[in-house]
Amino acid sequence: MKPDVNEALRYLGAQNAPENLRRQTAEMAENLASAIQPRYTYKVYGLEFLPGGIALRGTNVVLTGVSATKMLAECQQAALLACTLGTVFDRRLAVFQARDMAKAVLCDACGSAFVEAGCDAAGAELAARFPDRYLTDRFSPGYGDLPLSLQPDICDALDASRRLGLYVTESLLLNPAKSVTAVIGLSDRPQKARIRGCACCSMRDTCALRKGGKNCAI
Amino acid sequence: MQFDSLQNQIILLDGAMGTVLQQKGLPPGGHPELLNLTNPDLIRSVHRDYFDAGSQIVYANTFGANELKLAGTGHTLQEVVTAGVRLAKAEAGPGQFAALDIGPLGTLLEPMGSLSFQRAWELFANMAVCGEKAGADLAVIETMTDLYEAKAALQAVKDCTKLPVLVTMSFDEGGRTFTGCTVASMARTLEGLGADAIGLNCSLGPDKLAPLLKELCENTRLPVIAKPNAGLPDPVDGHYDMDPEAFAETLLPCLEAGVTLFGGCCGTSPEYIRAVRRVLEGKSPAPRHYLGGSFVCTPTNPLRLDGVRVIGERVNPTGKKRFQQALLEDDLDYILDVAIQQEDAGADILDVNVGFPGVNEAEMLPRVVKKIQSAVSLPLQLDSTNPDALEAALRVYNGKAAVNSVNGEPEVLTRILPIVKKYGASVVGLTLDKRGIPQTAEDRLAIARKILDAALSFGIPREDVWIDCLTLTVSAQQEQAAETLRAVRSIRQELGLQTVLGVSNISFGLPNRGLISQSFLIQALAAGLTLPILNPNQTEMMDAISAFRVLSGADAQCRDYIARFSGAVPAVQSVQSAEMTLEDAVCKGLKADAAKLAKAALETGDELSLVEKRLIPALDRVGEGYEVGRVFLPQLLSAAQAAQAVFEVIRTSIAEKGGAPVKKGTLIVATVQGDIHDIGKNIVKTVLENYGYEVFDLGRDVPPETIVQAVVKQGVQLVGLSALMTTTLPAMAETVRQLRTLPEPPVTFVGGAVVTPDYARQIGADYYAKDARESVEIAKKVLE
Repeated sequence: MKPDVNEALRYLGAQNAPENLRRQTAEMAENLASAIQPRYTYKVYGLEFLPGGIALRGTNVVLTGVSATKMLAECQQAALLACTLGTVFDRRLAVFQARDMAKAVLCDACGSAFVEAGCDAAGAELAARFPDRYLTDRFSPGYGDLPLSLQPDICDALDASRRLGLYVTESLLLNPAKSVTAVIGLSDRPQKARIRGCACCSMRDTCALRKGGKNCAI
Repeated sequence: MQFDSLQNQIILLDGAMGTVLQQKGLPPGGHPELLNLTNPDLIRSVHRDYFDAGSQIVYANTFGANELKLAGTGHTLQEVVTAGVRLAKAEAGPGQFAALDIGPLGTLLEPMGSLSFQRAWELFANMAVCGEKAGADLAVIETMTDLYEAKAALQAVKDCTKLPVLVTMSFDEGGRTFTGCTVASMARTLEGLGADAIGLNCSLGPDKLAPLLKELCENTRLPVIAKPNAGLPDPVDGHYDMDPEAFAETLLPCLEAGVTLFGGCCGTSPEYIRAVRRVLEGKSPAPRHYLGGSFVCTPTNPLRLDGVRVIGERVNPTGKKRFQQALLEDDLDYILDVAIQQEDAGADILDVNVGFPGVNEAEMLPRVVKKIQSAVSLPLQLDSTNPDALEAALRVYNGKAAVNSVNGEPEVLTRILPIVKKYGASVVGLTLDKRGIPQTAEDRLAIARKILDAALSFGIPREDVWIDCLTLTVSAQQEQAAETLRAVRSIRQELGLQTVLGVSNISFGLPNRGLISQSFLIQALAAGLTLPILNPNQTEMMDAISAFRVLSGADAQCRDYIARFSGAVPAVQSVQSAEMTLEDAVCKGLKADAAKLAKAALETGDELSLVEKRLIPALDRVGEGYEVGRVFLPQLLSAAQAAQAVFEVIRTSIAEKGGAPVKKGTLIVATVQGDIHDIGKNIVKTVLENYGYEVFDLGRDVPPETIVQAVVKQGVQLVGLSALMTTTLPAMAETVRQLRTLPEPPVTFVGGAVVTPDYARQIGADYYAKDARESVEIAKKVLE
């Protein structure tokens, strides 16, 4: 598995990167993939639709808000997923930052793309395990109105500190830095794509691309 | 409980607590430790089942009973730990023991997290003291993935209790923990710190752990523990894939590898322990094969001293004005940079010396150690004669370090060696005493013996004693060069110890110093020198090392030598042409060229006009390109770094003349409390510094109060704050609010992914900076 170079360039705001920057990014992606692989874990739970939100059976997780309700409306189960590049990535980034900031920002962008690739791989594995089920898009705390305050319970349910070395700080940040938690719904009927595009993005008010009348094509 | 009695016999530990609780119908997660108070009978019954199954040691239900995890539960550490230990004790019969169980704190330690080593130590110490008071027979530290955290816990138990202590860590199949720690680094560090037994638990089944346990047994003399999972969990139903019989059978290769303490982790239950007992019945411990040998390490870099290893000497203020200036100005970034250059030049170990008038070594040495360890993975040799500085630095050092140095003086030996022993370090002994440096090799050997004997008497193993026979300047005492070489040879031959020499002293006062130093180095290596201390940036010295490694057979197939000299190592060399200007070099991000051209420019012009008339306009040109989307962030930063190289030339030039540094103004930057993502702030800092501003970087996760204090102390007029997440924005608002209460409030600018111009206005910040480039504009406006 390795980071998608185009995606990394997108994180850098450099979709139209000149050839040499593209090459440097590709080298960084290779270099990263030879040293680190994303680690992930996921688990599938039954859903309970309560007045206050959607509970995942056997955990303390209750998904609140409009986004989750919409996403899981037709689902009977949902998977929690966590993926991280680990502190080894953070360390590598710190090493680059001390040596060469230009490389550090390339490493940072590749890292963001890489953890997404890890989530994609976990999602594909999940889909393969449930060939007769339809999966929703992946959505995470912080997207739409799904609160970040779910992070501790999600990580607790997945035993993420033990399984992945993934922690939640008091200010609800995931640590190591390149980490993602997410929910994927499982349904017995086809699910349409709902999560992508500016309308669903939590960055829509501050996104530099959007302000410039463009979008990131996700 | 005496652990000596547990050497060389098989001991059964218990299996999982959580798994059994779930089997008994409890939901996973939450705080299972609270059951010590709410359902003590249940917990007792689990312990009883394990003792009945054959466990000789059970772990009390205290794994997560630390103050961080118990916060908000309404229960104190004392209540939960005391109850937990007593429940386990209550079930223990004769020959059965209850261990205080200490798991990870649940948050990352510095430098990856914000928990300090000292705070972690306190949290563990509180648990340990409480557990001992409640009657625990021993302490176990388990499921650690960060060697630093394991060290804090082990140190706390050793410092505050008399309990024997077992330490187990979790590794992946590749032989690394989540934080990248190797098996050998773990083994040598924890043995050095005084653990009574070490091992592996959790993460994998016994089949996958066996090869790692073998490696562990080869790297320690301590009893070794195996507490694997019952195979791998199913991601859908959470069940582990090994049944008790399979689990027990697969433990047999671990026994053969040398393991003597057996138990289980996730997925195991009393049935598993019963099966293990059956399988191990009548078996005896296997013979152990300890590799031994001298060794130093950091978590990710285990360094076996089985050949020539270069100790870099440049982190040292002696005779270096720029380094002295950095120490006095608290410029740790510069010191880190000196360390990094040596790592990149091929050093294996770095000597670290910060002794200089006006510098508080006991405070500075540990800070420099932490700073270097944040970005350099080489083991360090702490160079000081101040025992307080050494102890403070060894305490925060992550791994197994070396100490430079002691000598043959009994007072020095009794002052320093106990500290070396306590932290499991290696130690350099100089062959001199009150009478000075002996003139003959025989007398130096005699002092070396004395140092070795003293070290052994303090319990320091022989392989951790390194001897420095001392290089004298050949132009002053010509016959001593040969005598030093003789001393090196006899210490290698007669004592078999590692030998250290500061090589470059030899050529002091002579022309063409490089030739003399290189020739001496080659002769010393031939005489048996294993640890030359030198400047790895001097190519001819590293060339000689590279050649020696070929001739001694250490460089198999001459691979490294060929890579070094055949041009396979890409040269980051100058593409300087006659026409290239300083401005071009900066714009293209060519550091070496920019530095060279700056040196040339200083021959005819002064520092200030170089900055104002050439450097800044060049940076502005790049910045404008960035604004219109023609130049991208990595290129902007490359240009900034080329400018940094120019500034370094300017700083060195000024330091040599003893003049005042060029500073265009001073500001503070910080990532606000609660936020750990600081690359954005670091980008701003890099760019601002290369416009000539002096930037005090307070780091990340910085409380408002710290920022206010720094503003008052430094008297700055401009403060930049960054935050990445919505959850940390309130901390930004609070910081701005506190800054505005100052009698002379500084100008504030804010930025970060979720910050908007509106939000900046709303919290009363003076400016919103969308990127590093805008920060420069703000700095220009405010500071010039």
